[in-house]
Amino acid sequence: MQVKKLIRIEQVKILNYIPFQILLGLYVVAIVLGLVIYPLIDKQIPVISLSDLFRFPDVWSFMTWITEPYNILLALIVIMITTNEFSNHTFKTQVIFGLGRRELLTQKIVLIFLLAALATILIGLTSVLLGLTHSYKITPGIMVENIWKLLPYFLSSVTYMIIGLFIALLVKNTAMSILSFIGFRTFVEPVLFLIFREKEIRWFFPMRANTQLTPLPDLIEIFQRKMNSAEPVDPSSLDILPKGLPLWANALLVTGYVAIIIFFSYRIMDRKRLS
Amino acid sequence: MSNILEIQQLSKSYRSVKAIKNLSIHIDPGQAFGLLGPNGSGKTTTLSILTGILRQDTGTYSWFGETPSPGQRTRIGSLIETPHFYPYLNLEKNLRIICTIKNIGFDDIELVLKETRLFERRKSRFKTLSLGMKQRLGIAAALLGDPRVLVLDEPTNGLDPEGIAEVRETIIEQVERGKTLILASHILSEVEKICSHVAILKNGDLLAAGSVKEILTEEEVVEFSSSDNAKLLRLLEENNVVTEARKENGVLVALLQPGMKIGDLNTFAFGNGVVIDHLVSRKKSLEAQFLELVKE
Repeated sequence: MQVKKLIRIEQVKILNYIPFQILLGLYVVAIVLGLVIYPLIDKQIPVISLSDLFRFPDVWSFMTWITEPYNILLALIVIMITTNEFSNHTFKTQVIFGLGRRELLTQKIVLIFLLAALATILIGLTSVLLGLTHSYKITPGIMVENIWKLLPYFLSSVTYMIIGLFIALLVKNTAMSILSFIGFRTFVEPVLFLIFREKEIRWFFPMRANTQLTPLPDLIEIFQRKMNSAEPVDPSSLDILPKGLPLWANALLVTGYVAIIIFFSYRIMDRKRLS
Repeated sequence: MSNILEIQQLSKSYRSVKAIKNLSIHIDPGQAFGLLGPNGSGKTTTLSILTGILRQDTGTYSWFGETPSPGQRTRIGSLIETPHFYPYLNLEKNLRIICTIKNIGFDDIELVLKETRLFERRKSRFKTLSLGMKQRLGIAAALLGDPRVLVLDEPTNGLDPEGIAEVRETIIEQVERGKTLILASHILSEVEKICSHVAILKNGDLLAAGSVKEILTEEEVVEFSSSDNAKLLRLLEENNVVTEARKENGVLVALLQPGMKIGDLNTFAFGNGVVIDHLVSRKKSLEAQFLELVKE
């Protein structure tokens, strides 16, 4: 019941918040534009057919991979609504009228899971749409063969937003939080990744591990399958790109990160000045 | 139930500054309790601890005889410093959030908005309100759910004279309806008008606490002299007419004992064979007393 109450409170706050509407709108627009644009790109590339990627069951890998950066928008939403609570002193107001400090954080975590679920559903629907319009052969079996890829996508989406929430709690200021998040995602980690390019540890960086949850689809395998080549090429000979950890290990690692971040977020919330 | 609020040995420091020191207060049901003190005396810090915003360093407090918990605060209506709401939400939606937190329906919203004369503005965004209106919305929010206890920190801050009068009227009405009130203020007359009990704070120390009548009685200081000041003083002091006498510029200055009037002093002296040649009343205002209390 308590969670339901927290959702009701959060709902009033965010549904009326224009930046939320804009960012969520952008997210949806990005997905819809994708639907229109990917097939157009395909028409300009004669040799390789991208539309192979839009077919069941490969569309699941493709869509979760290509829409992974969209999660940055969701993380920005979480950062903005959290830092707003600090700058508007509304965390304080909620405590005065009867919420616990931990409930303030639970509110945001529940919101994150809801947004991630919403995002996953949207990506799922889009994938079904692409799949239905591009597949030659549609059977229920083929349709759902790789649908499980939505699960790592959900996890990845949650992780993005949890990292955003954590930065917002630490930094409190909206602009600084957004800069820190984007800087971490697009600069700090990639640079670290390069510095440690010889070391296995690079696969354990949180953002990297997170993006590896929805990896680039195995194009070679897909085209091979398309060509119906009787003799598959030895996969190891094609292994030019380092693959990192296996998916299950990655998922475990990222879940661990999320758990640790949530734990420390509650610790911070217990001590933080609310304004 | 024995009491509404029990504070024991509460202390809080901000780095090197001691905001409150070993504060102990207890408040009974139905009391209108004033926390009186100049700026920086620890009033807001105290109320912030009591409403869960701040954590005390040492000491304890209990509401309704229970150990503090967030849910308890749904039974208390509070306004701490300036009210903070979502600037982009209208008044109604802001109050809906508070209602949801307090586990109450939305029916009260209309009532409290009318009570604070904000009903016409219910669809305005919070950020479009004037300072005084924001303050009134803070009071409206505190009244939601008809809580048994009101905790108000400088509720008339930023209001114009008309607004001040209205807010005071609202508060007094609430007290008359049997609510317990905890009111922090640096304005003596406000506490005097509204409160039955008072605690005076200065630099985090509790200087005095008790009923307003006890603490803030108007004492009458008299200035007098006669040809034999020594004899006159002995007479008056021995017979409990005055206390705390001292010499000031060749005349005697003393405090009239409770129940004594300036005429009584004259009659008494004359009856005992001393003719007073100088007798002036110097009424000590409450303001002066308050300033004196916090000056020491």
